[in-house]
Amino acid sequence: MTLTKEEEQQTQLIGHNDLAHKSLLQSDALYQYILDTSVHPREHEKLKELREMTEKHPWNLMATPPDEGQLLSMLLKLMNAKHTMEIGVYTGYSLLSTALALPHDGKILALDVNREYYELGLPIIQKAGVSHKIDFREGPALRLLDDLLKDENNKGIFDFIFVDADKDNYLNYHKRVIELVKIGGLIGYDNTLWNGSVVAPPDAPLMGYVKRYRGHVMELNKYLAQDSRIEICQLPVGDGITLCRRVI
Amino acid sequence: MATEEQQKSQASFGIKEIGHKPLLQSDALYQYILETSVYPREHECLRELREITQTHPWNIIATPADEGQLLSMLLKLMHAKNTLEIGVFTGYSLLSTALALPPDGKILALDINREYYELGLPIIEKAGVGNKIDFREGPALPFLDEMLKDEKNKGSFDFVFVDADKNNYMNYHQRVIELVKVGGLIGYDNTLWAGSVAAPPDAPFMDYIKPLRGFVIELNKYLAQDSRIEICQLPVGDGITLCRRII
Repeated sequence: MTLTKEEEQQTQLIGHNDLAHKSLLQSDALYQYILDTSVHPREHEKLKELREMTEKHPWNLMATPPDEGQLLSMLLKLMNAKHTMEIGVYTGYSLLSTALALPHDGKILALDVNREYYELGLPIIQKAGVSHKIDFREGPALRLLDDLLKDENNKGIFDFIFVDADKDNYLNYHKRVIELVKIGGLIGYDNTLWNGSVVAPPDAPLMGYVKRYRGHVMELNKYLAQDSRIEICQLPVGDGITLCRRVI
Repeated sequence: MATEEQQKSQASFGIKEIGHKPLLQSDALYQYILETSVYPREHECLRELREITQTHPWNIIATPADEGQLLSMLLKLMHAKNTLEIGVFTGYSLLSTALALPPDGKILALDINREYYELGLPIIEKAGVGNKIDFREGPALPFLDEMLKDEKNKGSFDFVFVDADKNNYMNYHQRVIELVKVGGLIGYDNTLWAGSVAAPPDAPFMDYIKPLRGFVIELNKYLAQDSRIEICQLPVGDGITLCRRII
């Protein structure tokens, strides 16, 4: 099937095309190698089911890919995390990865503007036997975070906070989650390499959604690098994830 | 028969020089990560060590700065105290580790050759962490076997970093899996082998890639089915596979 000129131009734009090929690596072949060799054989069957369902969804690009889910799981277990927060849920792949990694009495506060997509994934999360760990709240996160911070007892109560939401609000989230995560705890910011567009020249052909938020992502990266309250590590997993360990 | 020029340009799978590991979609993206998130945070002694290593003819075997930063993060998240490193070269990962451990942290560091370690040692001393390091020269396998004769050494390490001869990784694994504690971490370096693991067997590889590629592929398959560990394979450096011991 030959592509129309428009389709051709679309595929040459900088940006990820779908969830199954969401990587920043030298080739898709290398990414598929990692998935086939080290990720899929270890993927929980409920995570696989959730992923396959999500791959059919029109917004599937937003989902956490399975290699990133595996990384989150590893980190949570190394840290013996028990109490976490997630901002941005979509159908729940990172949420289910987290819930499977926490101990039986682990708890996750999960925030999303829209419960519709969460409810697509919820039956699968329930089948996995871990939905009792999740406290889902629908609505804009900033308001909820500010409410949490009104109570001094909420400061430093989270072991891990995963921020995977609207990029133009990441700096606003940062100012709040830095107080909610415990000292020694971890914040993860997703999409910090933004389809690789962080290095594209300003006039490069970017997909619409890439162009809109690129500046915000670059601004966040610069800010995190100089924020002395954290130590950082920026990994080229998924669309780029920056780990920030709070030190003061 | 291709000319030498043609062979060189066709050999597209292989590491060119330190800091230019080609696992990412572009060099520019890798440099962005280094310049934005790594170098501004790099300890001055690590930078000094990296700069002297860059002038060394074998510089490509050194741990790159982004990987040093990852090791540091992991060690701190785990509250690691007692670690083992197999393969030292000039000591970049060793110094990264030493800086991340608490004042009473200890690292057992093994390498067949102390010559390169001695290039880096003055900088490690300058960083004030030389006292955490116990360096032993010699082949690692006999040393590990000696250690395992004493039951007290089993499960005595929080973290083990294996960055040595790829044809022995499976042999190292059979030993370090007993030396690391349950819940502890093993890291195997170079498990994506310049991306060659995903290439067809007859692709044009640089000389050093071909002889060891099979061992790396075999290790990856083995780790994926080893039920004593949970794994995570990251495209950092030349590929690092983290293995958390669970039984």
